[in-house]
Amino acid sequence: MKISERAEEILETLWVRSEEKAEQVGLGVARGNPEVEELVKAGLATVRGDRIALTERGRAEGEKVTRRHRLAERFLSDLLHVKERLVHPVGCRFEHLLVEGIEDNICALLGHPRTCPHGRPIPEGECCRRFREGAGKGVMALAAMEAGQGGRVAYIQTRDRSRLQKIMAMGVLPGMPITLIQTFPSYVFQVGQSQFAVDERLAEGIIVRTAAR
Amino acid sequence: MRRRFGRRTRQAAPSDGGRRIVIVGSPNVGKSLIFTRLTGAYAVVSNYPGTTVEVFRGWAHVGGERYEVIDTPGMYSLLPVSEEELVARRILLSDRPDAVLHVADAKNLERMLLLTLQLIEARLPVILVLNIIDEAERLGMAIDVPRLERELRAPVCATDATTGRGVDALRGRIEEYVSRARMGRH
Amino acid sequence: MYHVPGWDAIEASLDRIESLLARPYGMSGRAVALLLLQGDDEIAGIVGAAEPEALEKIRPIVAEAQARYDDPLPYIIAVRRQEEASRITRAVLSRGAAPRVGFAERLSRIMMNPLTGIPLVLLILYLGLYKFVGGFGAGVLVDLVEDAVFVRRVNPWTAALAERLLPWESARALIAGDYGIVTLGVRYAVAIILPIVATFFIAFAVIEDSGYLPRLAMLIDRLFKAIGLTGRAVIPMVLGLGCDTMATLVTRTLPTVRERLISTILLALAIPCSAQLGVILSLLDGHPLGLWVWVGVMGGVFILVGALSSRVLPGEAPSFYMEIPPLRLPRPANVLIKTYSRVRWYFLEIFPVFILASVVIWAGQMTGLFDRGVALLRHPVRWIGLPDDAAVAFLFGFFRRDYGAAGLFDIKRAGLLTGRQIVVACTTLALFLPCVAQFLITVRERGLRTAVALSAFVFVFSFSVGFLLNKVLVFWAVPL
Repeated sequence: MKISERAEEILETLWVRSEEKAEQVGLGVARGNPEVEELVKAGLATVRGDRIALTERGRAEGEKVTRRHRLAERFLSDLLHVKERLVHPVGCRFEHLLVEGIEDNICALLGHPRTCPHGRPIPEGECCRRFREGAGKGVMALAAMEAGQGGRVAYIQTRDRSRLQKIMAMGVLPGMPITLIQTFPSYVFQVGQSQFAVDERLAEGIIVRTAAR
Repeated sequence: MRRRFGRRTRQAAPSDGGRRIVIVGSPNVGKSLIFTRLTGAYAVVSNYPGTTVEVFRGWAHVGGERYEVIDTPGMYSLLPVSEEELVARRILLSDRPDAVLHVADAKNLERMLLLTLQLIEARLPVILVLNIIDEAERLGMAIDVPRLERELRAPVCATDATTGRGVDALRGRIEEYVSRARMGRH
Repeated sequence: MYHVPGWDAIEASLDRIESLLARPYGMSGRAVALLLLQGDDEIAGIVGAAEPEALEKIRPIVAEAQARYDDPLPYIIAVRRQEEASRITRAVLSRGAAPRVGFAERLSRIMMNPLTGIPLVLLILYLGLYKFVGGFGAGVLVDLVEDAVFVRRVNPWTAALAERLLPWESARALIAGDYGIVTLGVRYAVAIILPIVATFFIAFAVIEDSGYLPRLAMLIDRLFKAIGLTGRAVIPMVLGLGCDTMATLVTRTLPTVRERLISTILLALAIPCSAQLGVILSLLDGHPLGLWVWVGVMGGVFILVGALSSRVLPGEAPSFYMEIPPLRLPRPANVLIKTYSRVRWYFLEIFPVFILASVVIWAGQMTGLFDRGVALLRHPVRWIGLPDDAAVAFLFGFFRRDYGAAGLFDIKRAGLLTGRQIVVACTTLALFLPCVAQFLITVRERGLRTAVALSAFVFVFSFSVGFLLNKVLVFWAVPL
C-alpha cells in the first residue's frame, strides 16, 4: 500500500538508525504521531512499550526509501551540481518522485554509485546487480567502450586532481560529444573536432553516456 | 638570435612599459601565423605540442602605435598541467597586456570557448580570433559573429591566417579596443 | 562584465577572496582569486610570499566553498563553464553536413593501428635515419666536404700558412697540428658534424611538421610506461638521435620532474646522437653481426636502465594524454627555416666546444697532462680488451662522444682493431660520457649535483658494460 511522504521519511530514519547504526529506537515525542500509526497500520513497524521496530516488510521498504533518497542526492549533486547545503532538503522532496523503475534509470545514469555525496552507502538495487554482471547499459567508462562507439560525456570520475585537470584540459566535460576511435595500444578518441590519445587510467575516468546503437 | 631553444621564462617579462599584445591559444590553431601576419617577421610555425617551450617576440604597428607582440606556447586552460601552459600563463598574467588575442580553431568553437571564458573571467582584455575559418566553412559551419560578440561581451574576429583574410579587420578591432580601454582609464 | 550565471556561492567566495588581497600581482585580483579558489599551487605560493596573513584568511574561505560540493571546485567550475560554452555554441553555430572521413584521416588510422603502424615506424626509421642521415648525410655529404674541402684545400693551405707565419713549433701545432684548431676542431665541426646534423634536422622537421610524432607517442606509450615515462617522452628521445644536448633541453616539456630526470639519464647514456651514429655506423661497416650486437646492447641498456630508474626514483607513475593533430603536408619553406635555425643554434653551441677542445688538448700536450690522462685511461681501456691507442680516443670522448668515435676510426683505418674490439669500443663509447655541451645543459636543467652524479654513474656503467660484453664475446667466440 502507498504511504504518505511524511511516513516515508520516518520509515527512512527508522531504517537508518535500526539497520545501519544497529540502535534501539525509542518513540519519544513521536508517540501518538499519526505517521507512526500509519506505519504500524501498514504492517511496516511495530510498537512495544516505548520502542519502535521495523517488521520484515518494513526493513525491505525502508531500504528502498533510503536508496531513493541517496540516489536523489547523488543525482542532484553529480548531474545538477546543486550546492551541498541544499542537497539534503531538496533530496528529501525529490526522492518521492522516484517511483520504482525510474529509480533504476537514475541509478544507471549515475553509473550505479556506491555512496551518496555524504559518503553513506547506497543500498544496492536489482539494476546494480545486473550492471555488475556486465549487462549495464547507459553510462560506461571510455575504457570499457568499443572502438567506433560514441555518446556524450556524462561525468568525470577521478579522485586524482592532476588527472582530473588533464581530462578537463582536453575539453572532455559533461555534455560534449565523444567518439572512441581506437583502444590499443592507447585510447584514441574524438571530442568535438579534436582527437586525443590517452592511457587506460585516464580513459577509466571518462564516463560516457553511450548513444543507442 | 630570434629563435633560441629553451629560453628561460624569467627572461620573458620585459622591463619597459610599452604597449603589449599577447597571443594565446591551444596548440595547432595557427597562433604563430597570426603572429607572423601582425609582426611581418617570419616566425617558425612550431606546429605541434611537446617539441620545445618557446616564446616569440616581435613588433607590430597598429593604428600608428607600436606594440610588442608576444606569442606564447600552447595552452588549453588557465590551470596549467604542462610546462608550456605554465610559461604561457606567467606571460599572460605578469605582462599586463593591452590586448589578449585568443586564437581559436573556428571549427572547434565549443571546446575553444572554454579558454575564452576563462580569460574573460580573469578580466583580461580578450579579443577572440576565430582562425582557420575557411576550414570551418568548408565543413558547412556558419558562426554568427555579432551574436557571439554580444554573448561574450568581447570583440570577435574571423580570420584565415594562411591567406590573410580578416587580419586587417583584426588590426582595426585591436586599435578600437585598446583606445576605448584607454578612454575608460582616464 | 560577463559572469557565468548560477555561480552564486562561488561568486560570493571570489568576492571575499578578492577583497582580502591587498598587493598588486600584475594581474587582476579576480584572476588571482579564481586561481586560489581552484587550488593553484603556484599562485598560492606567490600570495603566501607577498602577504601570508591574507593567505591564512583565504584558506578557510576556499575550504568552506569546497565543503559545499562533493566534487573538486575546479571540476564544478569547469562544468558550469562548459554549460555556458555549450549554450553559446548552440546560439551562434549552425552546422551543415557531417564531414566524411578523408584521406588524411585514413592515413592517420593506419599510422595509429599497431599492425600497420609499427612496420611504418621501422620504415620511417630506416628511410629517414639510416638511408637519409646515415647514407646521404654521413656518407655522401661528409665525403664530399671532407675530401674536397679539407683534405685537398683547407688543411694544406693552413699548414703552409702556419709554416710561413708562425715561427714557433708549438703555435703551429695549435693551428695546424694533429689536433689543431683548424685541422681538427674546424674540420670535425664543418666536415663531419655539420652535414650529419643538418640532414638529421631536415628529416626531423619533416616528421615533426607532418604531425607524425604524437601518433608515434601514442603507439609507444605502453612500452615507455615500463621505463617510468609516457609516450610524450618519445619526442626528446627521437630528437636525441639528432642531438642529445638539444633533447636534454626539450625534456623540460615533460610534465613531471621524475620523467625529466629519467629522460636525462637515458639521453646521457643510451641514446647516441646523429654525429656519433654516423661515425659508429661507418666504424661497424663491414661487420653486420657487430651492428646487431651493438643495437641489441644499446636497446637492452635503454630498457634496463629505464626500468631500474623508474623503480628507484620516487614519484607516481605519470599519466599520458596528447592531442593528435590532423596530418598535414609539411611546407618546404617551414622545414628549411626550422632546419636552418636549429643548425645555427647547434653550430653556435657546438663550435666553441670544438675549438676549446683543440686548445685544451694542445695545452694538455704541451704540459704533459694529456699524456698522463691517456696513461690513466689505459687501464680501463685494457680491461675491456682494447689496444692502448684507444685510450686517446676515450680521452677525446670526454669532449664529445663522436670525437672519440672518430678517433677510433683512425685506429681502425690503421688496421689495429679486430671486429670484436670495434664492437666493444663502439658500445662503450656510445654509452660513455655525453659531450661537454650536454653536460653543461644537464647542469643547467637538473643542477650540478645531479649532473656530476650522473656523469660518474655513466663512466662506471659504460666501462662495466664494455667489460662484460668483451668477456661474453670472447667466451662464446662470436665471429665478428
